[in-house]
Amino acid sequence: MNKYILENGIEAIIKNNKNTPRTAFCLFFKLNRDEEKPGLYLLLTRLLLQGTKNRTAEELANELDEKALDFTFEKKADYIRFKLLFLNEDVQETFEILEDIIENTTFNDYEKEKIKIKGELESDLDSAKIQAQDEYYRTIFKNHPYGIGRKEIIEGIERITKADLINAFNELKYNLQKNISVIGDIDEQIITELMNKRLKSLKINETLDLRIESAPIEKERVSIIEKEDANQAQIFQGWLFPSIFSEEYPSIILLNTILGSSGLSSRLFLELREKQGLCYNVRSVYEPYLLSGNFFVYIGTEPKNIKTSLEGFKREIKKIMTEIISEEELENAKTNAIGKRSFYQETNLLEACLKGYYEFLGLGFDWEEKLIQKIKETTKEDILSIAEKYFSKPSALCILAPKKYLEASGLL
Amino acid sequence: MEKLKKTEINYPFLEKPVLIYERENGHKIVFAYKRGELLNISSWVKTGSINENDENNGISHFLEHLMFKGTTKHKAGEFDRTLESRGAIVNAATWKDYTFYYVTIPKGTDNRNFNDTLELHADMMLDPIIPPEEIGEPFDINNTEIKIKRERHVVIEEIRMRKDQPWTLVYNNVNKNMYTTHPYKRDVIGNEQIISTIKRETILDYYKEFYSPNNITTIIAGELNPDDVLPKVIELFDFKGRAQRKNDIHNVEVQANEEKYSEIYSKINTGFLMFGYLGPKADKLKETTILEMICLILGEGQSSRLNQNLIEKVKNPIYNIISTDYYQFRDGGNIFVQANFKPEEKDKAINGIKEEIKKIYTEGISERELQKAKKKLKAAFAENSETVSDIGETIGFYMTVCDNLKCVEEYLKVIDTITTEDIKETAKQYINADNAVISVLMPEK
Repeated sequence: MNKYILENGIEAIIKNNKNTPRTAFCLFFKLNRDEEKPGLYLLLTRLLLQGTKNRTAEELANELDEKALDFTFEKKADYIRFKLLFLNEDVQETFEILEDIIENTTFNDYEKEKIKIKGELESDLDSAKIQAQDEYYRTIFKNHPYGIGRKEIIEGIERITKADLINAFNELKYNLQKNISVIGDIDEQIITELMNKRLKSLKINETLDLRIESAPIEKERVSIIEKEDANQAQIFQGWLFPSIFSEEYPSIILLNTILGSSGLSSRLFLELREKQGLCYNVRSVYEPYLLSGNFFVYIGTEPKNIKTSLEGFKREIKKIMTEIISEEELENAKTNAIGKRSFYQETNLLEACLKGYYEFLGLGFDWEEKLIQKIKETTKEDILSIAEKYFSKPSALCILAPKKYLEASGLL
Repeated sequence: MEKLKKTEINYPFLEKPVLIYERENGHKIVFAYKRGELLNISSWVKTGSINENDENNGISHFLEHLMFKGTTKHKAGEFDRTLESRGAIVNAATWKDYTFYYVTIPKGTDNRNFNDTLELHADMMLDPIIPPEEIGEPFDINNTEIKIKRERHVVIEEIRMRKDQPWTLVYNNVNKNMYTTHPYKRDVIGNEQIISTIKRETILDYYKEFYSPNNITTIIAGELNPDDVLPKVIELFDFKGRAQRKNDIHNVEVQANEEKYSEIYSKINTGFLMFGYLGPKADKLKETTILEMICLILGEGQSSRLNQNLIEKVKNPIYNIISTDYYQFRDGGNIFVQANFKPEEKDKAINGIKEEIKKIYTEGISERELQKAKKKLKAAFAENSETVSDIGETIGFYMTVCDNLKCVEEYLKVIDTITTEDIKETAKQYINADNAVISVLMPEK
């Protein structure tokens, strides 16, 4: 993998993977301020596929489909990512279209796109699990942009104007920090020249990161959603955890592997599903962001099991906070977590996303090797220590269930 | 060494031909060469809800869960723990025509993980003991005092989970109404009554009957030399003379000549609907490929007709989401149009879809649409050749549902032969706007 600096100052990493039919391209934009109006960046990224001065939305959609070009523009918690996947022979057309989108997007259909987005989000919220998960983020990241969910966007998107969109896009193009990753069976010189030609208007103008970390949780937060026809209770319980930059990151990966992210052999799976038959789905998830992170446990269970499930969570969390894990469990967690990382780079697109993300973080595209080394060096004591440090703090709990079961569990 | 029948298949986008070895007992072993760090080992069994009835509906899926509960050699949990501790993804899935079990794992230094994975996988496939304490005693589903809960409850929770998913509700309803007698009409997962009461012995008998050597295909995808590995696969997949099983023949059903409409209700805020049609058998390569193209043209992606004409070009669209889907089955596939819509506009939502369907076979499609669909299908096939797990799944599907991996070799060539007239004629035959099976899920009043 080689690193280039384009004429506009943007850093691009390029890797030639021989004998692969499709090339992947990622462009990261680092967000440096909160959305004043929820849904702004979502609406913006959606409108990038809704037509330019040269192509109507329909013409653009047809052209992409005719060449089987996969253009995805997405908003994540800390960045916006342009993700392109194309057959190697279509490289010239791909960059011509990308340039047209960057230079000539019209934002004309923004009112219509609002209607579409609202409809899609309302449809999502007909899922009990999505409804509860949205509420969980709202609860743990109270008053912080990481907590903005579908409900806030549905309510807030109306206030977005065309000027807001143009300003946000100009900020994206001319100011925000950017980086690029390209992986495929490609000529590095050709791709560099193409990027210099087609992306020349993009600029970087360092601006202050105005975002702030989410406030600590001072006391237990509980959110309840009464849903009378729910066949299962949806339970999310989470804690604020450190960001990806933390020295503790490798230990948290292992903690998560042991507790509930490792498929069929994690502690939560074995205890709550295999031994107690409480659920089909139970797991733990660690989501690291730039400013903080969150670690949650989830179960979908028959509503009458709410209390038993919460006790199960409590027991497993307490156990990992107070009892040192065995040497065997540590070694298994390490080989498990390290082995799983092979999956993150199996295709050109996955590899471009991962290595581009490491560059975006400023950790370097070769950070994967360093991370693996750090995972190998993690001790049992490290895991005990971080579990004690973070799980001893107040949590955020969100439960969706019929009222009578919430009452029976003492939650109402 | 036993006699093997060897067949080579030129699989597009792979460096070397895929090799099929058929053993005397009917067990098939397939090798697909793909460079990289990961290996995929899977076994596909030719059974699913197609072999079920009203008394044992859900048994194939329940058995799939119970296959992970240990063997004579390896206790419950050992399989998962051993393989996951090496970074493997381990799982299984049950559908109408098949059940498959897979492990995707980093090969490790000198393919260290391959032998152990193969040993564990073969052992699981051939010697499941289903310990009584793992399945749990049969129980009365209405008894709220049950304290000891085992795998029966896990499956019942899975059933419960699906009842909270609007798309699953509307799908199950349309699926049930598309058939009269064929076993495909049943939900693969079964129901709580059966899962709570079915006996362990019944499940073991089902296993013995359907997990016969001729019903199983074992697929190995990754950077391995088949010559080095084949003897080991044969040695480990020792069926010990287990009998072959001839699959039952079912009457293939055809679409009724009139519309079949049904409406169900739930506490939701938007409306969900599905149009369902019965399609040709999965081994009819040309017809199934044409129907894939029709689905693409109608409802896949932003440039598709349904999206353009019913959402993108409309000022105030009544649809939130609209798409098509095509499931291929041994005894005939299903074509679906599905939409989420504003419930107050239900009639318009249904009629709008009918109009678009009708246009396909009355007005036909343009050459440009045809070429676009061809390119998209080819790109999708290329995408499915990028990972060992996708390669394993594609091979498993063709070997199990079509009984013919040659379809893979011919697939891209068949795409090139399809004309706009083929699209019109096939649409006329299979997707008549006036005889759809329609299922609508509406908010409770």
